[in-house]
Amino acid sequence: MERDILEQRLNINRRRFLSRLSLGLGSVALGSLLIPDLFSGIGSDNEADFTPGIPSFAPKAKRVIYMFQDGAPSQLESFDYKPKLREMMGQELPASVRGGQILTGMTAGQKSFPLAGSYYDFKQYGQSGAWVSDLFPYTAKIVDDICIVRSMFTESFNHDPALTFFQTGATQGNRPCMGSWVSYGLGSDNKNLPTFTVLLSKGKGNGQGVYSKLWSNGFLDSIHQGVQLSNSDSPVLYLHDQDGIDKNDRRNMIDNIAALNEIDYKEIGDPEIITKVQQYEMAYRMQTAVPETLDISKESDDTIKMYGPDCLVPGTYAANCLLARKLSENGVRFVQLYHQGWDQHANLPQEMAGQAKDVDQASAALVTDLKQRGLLDETLVIWGGEFGRTNYSQGKLEKNNYGRDHHPRCFSIWMAGGGIKPGVVYGESDDFGYNIVKNPVHVHDFQATVLNQLGLDHTKLTFKNQGRRYRLTDVGGHVVRDIIS
Amino acid sequence: MTKLNYKGYAENLLIALNIFIVFLLLFGNDVVIPQWLQPVGRLHPLILHFPIVVLIMAVLLEFFRFQERFKHEKLYQNFTAYLWLTGALFAGITAVMGIFLSKEPGYEGSTLELHKWFGVSVVFVSSIIVWGRNTTWYNVKIVRSAAAVSIIGLVAAGHFGADLTHGANFVLEPVWHPAANKVPVDKALVFRDVIQPVFESKCTSCHNPDKIKGGLMLIDEKSVLKGGKDGKLFDAGQPQISLLLRRIHMPEGEKEHMPPAGKPQLTEDEAKLLYLWIKENAGFQKKVIDLPLNDSLRQLSAGVLKPAEESGDQYDFAAVDEKVVKKLNNNYRSVYFMGKESPALGVNVYGRNNYGPKVLGELSDIQKQVISLYLDHMPVRDPELKNIAKFENLRNLNLNFTDITGSTLKDLAPLKHLKTLSLSGTRLNPEAVKQVGMLKSLNKIVLWNCGVQPAQLAELKRANKNIDLIEGFKDDGKPIKLNIPQLKKNNLVFANALSLQLSHPINGVEMRYTTDGSQPDSIKSLVYKPGIVFTQNNITLKVKAYKAGWISSDVVQFDFHKSTYTPDSISFVKFPSYQSSPQRAKSLIDRELGSSFIADGKWIGSQKDIAVYMQFARPTDLKSITISSNQNYLPSELEIWGGADNNHIKLLSAVKPKASLNRNSGATESIECKLPVAHPESCLKIIVKPKKGAPQPGKIIQSPFVFMDEIFFN
Repeated sequence: MERDILEQRLNINRRRFLSRLSLGLGSVALGSLLIPDLFSGIGSDNEADFTPGIPSFAPKAKRVIYMFQDGAPSQLESFDYKPKLREMMGQELPASVRGGQILTGMTAGQKSFPLAGSYYDFKQYGQSGAWVSDLFPYTAKIVDDICIVRSMFTESFNHDPALTFFQTGATQGNRPCMGSWVSYGLGSDNKNLPTFTVLLSKGKGNGQGVYSKLWSNGFLDSIHQGVQLSNSDSPVLYLHDQDGIDKNDRRNMIDNIAALNEIDYKEIGDPEIITKVQQYEMAYRMQTAVPETLDISKESDDTIKMYGPDCLVPGTYAANCLLARKLSENGVRFVQLYHQGWDQHANLPQEMAGQAKDVDQASAALVTDLKQRGLLDETLVIWGGEFGRTNYSQGKLEKNNYGRDHHPRCFSIWMAGGGIKPGVVYGESDDFGYNIVKNPVHVHDFQATVLNQLGLDHTKLTFKNQGRRYRLTDVGGHVVRDIIS
Repeated sequence: MTKLNYKGYAENLLIALNIFIVFLLLFGNDVVIPQWLQPVGRLHPLILHFPIVVLIMAVLLEFFRFQERFKHEKLYQNFTAYLWLTGALFAGITAVMGIFLSKEPGYEGSTLELHKWFGVSVVFVSSIIVWGRNTTWYNVKIVRSAAAVSIIGLVAAGHFGADLTHGANFVLEPVWHPAANKVPVDKALVFRDVIQPVFESKCTSCHNPDKIKGGLMLIDEKSVLKGGKDGKLFDAGQPQISLLLRRIHMPEGEKEHMPPAGKPQLTEDEAKLLYLWIKENAGFQKKVIDLPLNDSLRQLSAGVLKPAEESGDQYDFAAVDEKVVKKLNNNYRSVYFMGKESPALGVNVYGRNNYGPKVLGELSDIQKQVISLYLDHMPVRDPELKNIAKFENLRNLNLNFTDITGSTLKDLAPLKHLKTLSLSGTRLNPEAVKQVGMLKSLNKIVLWNCGVQPAQLAELKRANKNIDLIEGFKDDGKPIKLNIPQLKKNNLVFANALSLQLSHPINGVEMRYTTDGSQPDSIKSLVYKPGIVFTQNNITLKVKAYKAGWISSDVVQFDFHKSTYTPDSISFVKFPSYQSSPQRAKSLIDRELGSSFIADGKWIGSQKDIAVYMQFARPTDLKSITISSNQNYLPSELEIWGGADNNHIKLLSAVKPKASLNRNSGATESIECKLPVAHPESCLKIIVKPKKGAPQPGKIIQSPFVFMDEIFFN
């Protein structure tokens, strides 16, 4: 025990020594300020190119709203129109198309892989002539405002790793997520609200979990962590002062706690203590900002008609879309939505109809709503899941019923605003909707593009942890310039 | 004497070298260096260091040669003389080697020429000094200028030589980057910016209007299309038969190989670029970004081009200090740089209650720099537009949901760069729309929900065709459907009386209900009012919402269950086998029902009998016990045992539920078990039995599950 204490003290001293040393280094740094570029070697230190809080170049988008469709919606019943699958309904998936791909444990044992065409019809919409299924009538109306990418592919075919990959750029789940990177890269805009918030909702379809590691700050400072808002009547719990405590008392309390924490910080030097003090301060300011921002009771009838009346029912996807707009409008950099229930291994036609009904109107309304407030140009809106679904039926293929297993090789998402070309359909899959034949977009490419729109160079947005610099796109990623206006 | 002899040889050798060099310079083009001499040439980069050092020393000593102190210093004089001789000899040898080396393929261009001439001039100058330095005309002035010329020659020859070996700008490269003259990918044309530069670097030195070898010029589209004396250069789309590629890919020794042996050859990438350009028929006007992303030609092109430029505005104002910007930031006002290299600033203001004219007034230091101002939902009033107009470089102004009326929109006219103006959610008066025309630079105006009449909007559109007018969502007047009524508190189980608490998110709806299982309608069914009380055991409530101008909602059904009594303790005797079952039997009497999702942690399930014990503190007069089960997983039998204590219980009642009519519905079904009248008990045991699996030939029998989520006592 004594040894432990001694060790702890030594640690503190080492830390102090190092931090004092850094003061010494600081004066050298001052020298370099007087003689600019004294130390700017080439390629020696990428981090010199990046200052947290300032975009590297003028950004198109200032904020992101990411409507994640958790569980992986089928591309074949949404945006990737494959008439051939209907023609070949029930026939075997040709081995040449599958190309020896490993399947998940859920269908690997299947003896037959009967091709399943979409139960729902497709039509072309807008000037872009994009094909959209009948399940998404509202999205169909805004195809000229969005960019549909039909050539996404990913590296994992199970929910957790694929979802984690999408959000953090790695499958293991110890890295910061996209929202945290953005918070780190751009900093806070409205200091009365969190920089990164998370909203959850759940459809009736077969669901998969979402968990807080998906909005984790990883090794970044914990002020970059996503703040999950409650889907009850009051989105932020325990925000009201208790009876008998007025604003001044609260102020006093926070000041005194901060003073105590300050002592602690001087003693221990853990930066997380400072973070905590900042969080108290923000919570204090949120006491006024949140009710002002998130009050949905005063929304106009137009808004209710746009989003659908469910937008007034807390916890629904529509309500979350409305909240997302309100948060974004108030300077929240990254609003992450998750809607669960898209994992249609069976009963796809019925379940997917329900899921689409949950999200279609409100997703489209969000785009329209941002546009009519002049905010779409600076807000990047993303809609999509973690992978696609197979073109063959999981389980028995019936005329009106089938399921689809996980498919990582090709799927569809859409993006809107934030400098993304509107009215574009990008990428193409083969006639079977199985492999990509044109313009593949890897998840890292997608991430690089999102960061690029925010004025962040994905190769420069790095953070050094345990001796290595990390980035959202790991060692990959190319900005998809073709879809940038 | 011997020394003199050596000196004599050396001087003769120097003369010979000079003559040889002159010969090489004159007839060099026709000289072929035999292979065995090539290594000699290749020693050039090694030997060249000797003349440099020796000559520098010689120049240094020569410089002070006529000074009084050294004039009669014999050692000094002799040493200097030998240095010059040695230096000149080495220079001569080095030059010859260099000329040999330059005959090898791959040395070419103006740098080589410069290097050659400077190098040779060093030989000549130093030789002249060697011969002339003891003559009478050789005085201090000449000494000094000769020294200077030698040094300049040395430095220049050395510099260009280094450029040849290490590439241009080798020394300064780490500290000085001349702006690369590359075109950004997004603006580049395949031919102009990728293919033509290849021609320029490797071909046009012989194929230009001054030197039209083979009748071919490669200077522009016209000349490339024309081809040379052997015909046209390429067949679009057919690289294998294209002359250009054939000549490039021939073995290097072939006479027809291009570029000719000895000239700088195409790199692999360059040859590939030409191949792909022809193969993909990319022509002369195609943009690089019009090629597919994964296209090889595109990817190779990207390598020689600059990354796409952000086509940002160019600003003619200077950046303000970062500290100034930092100081202007506070909790309600965010002032930020648009980008790291950009002088432009944006300002976002939040917090309606903290807004005052000061918020903008304090920004006088950055008035020039602000290009984007976001005042969404702030109580900005008409007179303030005058202050906003002081931000002379403003591009983007957001006044959504502010308190302006638009009467003073013309005050924004001084904003010569204003591109986007958002006025959504304001209450504009008719004056406002007329003033929009005064904002000359505007190309986008957002006018959703700001009280402007459609006729006015149409007129505005007509008058300002170049302005993108965003009107936003327009109610098409079609009624939309109400959503379903909700329970205020999700208590579906009640003790004695149910006080009904419904709610609806839309204000002003009327909710009508039935309790007899029939569909509610808008005429006969009862209207919900808060606090209606029911006392029946089971209430099936069907509710529907109505509102004028809306489509009435779907019918929603709530099944309320009465459970008058609650046992004081409950425990499993036989545990459920289903994994996701709650661990404690208390879940069966917690008055919370399971959802349609069987693994939600509220459903107790088993493939074997479940048995639970319950104790009441005092004997309770129960008339019925109901278990709530799932239609997909009904029990085969339900037994109720009762008595005074654990040891004295007997079977009170048993039911065998009928198979459900709508199987696979997943709905909850209540199974009631009536107990003999007036039989107060304090100890109860309930046994729930799953169905037996029907044996199927050749398969292991999968026993069916039974599921239940709650027990009601009445």
